[in-house]
Amino acid sequence: MANTEAALKDAMSSIDGALGVALVDYGSGMALGTLGGSPSFDLTVAAAGNTDVVRAKLRTMEMLGIQDSIEDILITLGSQYHLIRLLTGRGGNGLFLYLALDAQRANLAMARHQLKRIEKELEV
Amino acid sequence: MSADGGIPAALPAAAAPPGDPALDTLDRLAAERATGALHGRGGALYLADGVVVHAESHAVPDVGCRLTVGGRLPAECWEEAVARGGPGHGAGRFLVEHGRLTAGELELCHLSALFDAAYFVLCPLDRTQRGPQRFLREARHWFGPVRPVPVPLLRRETARRARLLERAWPRPEVDTSPVVPVAGRAARETAARGRGAVLAAADGQRTPLQIACTLGRSAFTTLLDVRRLAAAGLVRTPERGAPAAPAPPRPGTAAAPDITLLYRIRDALEAL
Repeated sequence: MANTEAALKDAMSSIDGALGVALVDYGSGMALGTLGGSPSFDLTVAAAGNTDVVRAKLRTMEMLGIQDSIEDILITLGSQYHLIRLLTGRGGNGLFLYLALDAQRANLAMARHQLKRIEKELEV
Repeated sequence: MSADGGIPAALPAAAAPPGDPALDTLDRLAAERATGALHGRGGALYLADGVVVHAESHAVPDVGCRLTVGGRLPAECWEEAVARGGPGHGAGRFLVEHGRLTAGELELCHLSALFDAAYFVLCPLDRTQRGPQRFLREARHWFGPVRPVPVPLLRRETARRARLLERAWPRPEVDTSPVVPVAGRAARETAARGRGAVLAAADGQRTPLQIACTLGRSAFTTLLDVRRLAAAGLVRTPERGAPAAPAPPRPGTAAAPDITLLYRIRDALEAL
């Protein structure tokens, strides 16, 4: 029975190449928890910005009439992967997990799998 | 930046209006590590040892409303927690201990409700109202602490939210009046959640905050959705017969012209 802090710690310690992780409310763009990051990589800025990414995608799906939900969004940079996983639990509506990975050290398939596990542990 | 998985230290600066007496009081109480409730007409902020542990505002859905309206908990479960956990200042803890909610769910629901209520306590929609001023020492809330929020973080987040509303649509008129979908234009919005649900609940009778209470969702998020819907010309206030008239941002709120805002103003003018 994990709380936010435990879930984020789990993500940072168990996912290879993790640079930072945040749990974000995409209604307000507020990060409800962050771990990792650096002075040059502000996770609260990332949380607010990626909220716009999620909102834009949800709006696009609405406009296209796609009756489905987003499981995750992958953004591939030259040196990093950014993974956004929307939470689907009863209390998780409107939340997403945001994970930044070092592309050199990360195993993308494993990271997606681990993020799914962490969502389950968060039990929201 | 939080190094411990706690609430992040939010964006820098985000200065609240200088000299706001409520914020000065809040800073002083934090410095004193005070315990008690700071009351205003809009609601109250509860502090324990100088950090904010709870916020309530009569205008916004509280934790109970959020949990029961959406069907997450039967109303009896919530009432039982309040009746049995409340006297010991632990209604929240009661829900977890009795297996009604997981710890993570309680934490996220409470935190979201706390920031939501705190926004409307510190920034009342009725701008003639002052922020909270009366401090009742040693008052504790029956919900009990879940995850405390430092005062500087609460101030920064509140200021960030105010800017977000301003950027979405710089006309606060839609905040307090009933809103109604603009005929024809709003028909495309069909989603059962989020903006679509807000639009469906906009019946020309309910104000944005009443819509939030009807849906059991965040009042701030609902307000932001309504401002965005107004900016897109999808809702209007019934009295005016047109979307809230666009206006430039208040002087001093924007350093440089925002081109997307100008586009939205043009679109709204064309929609009139």
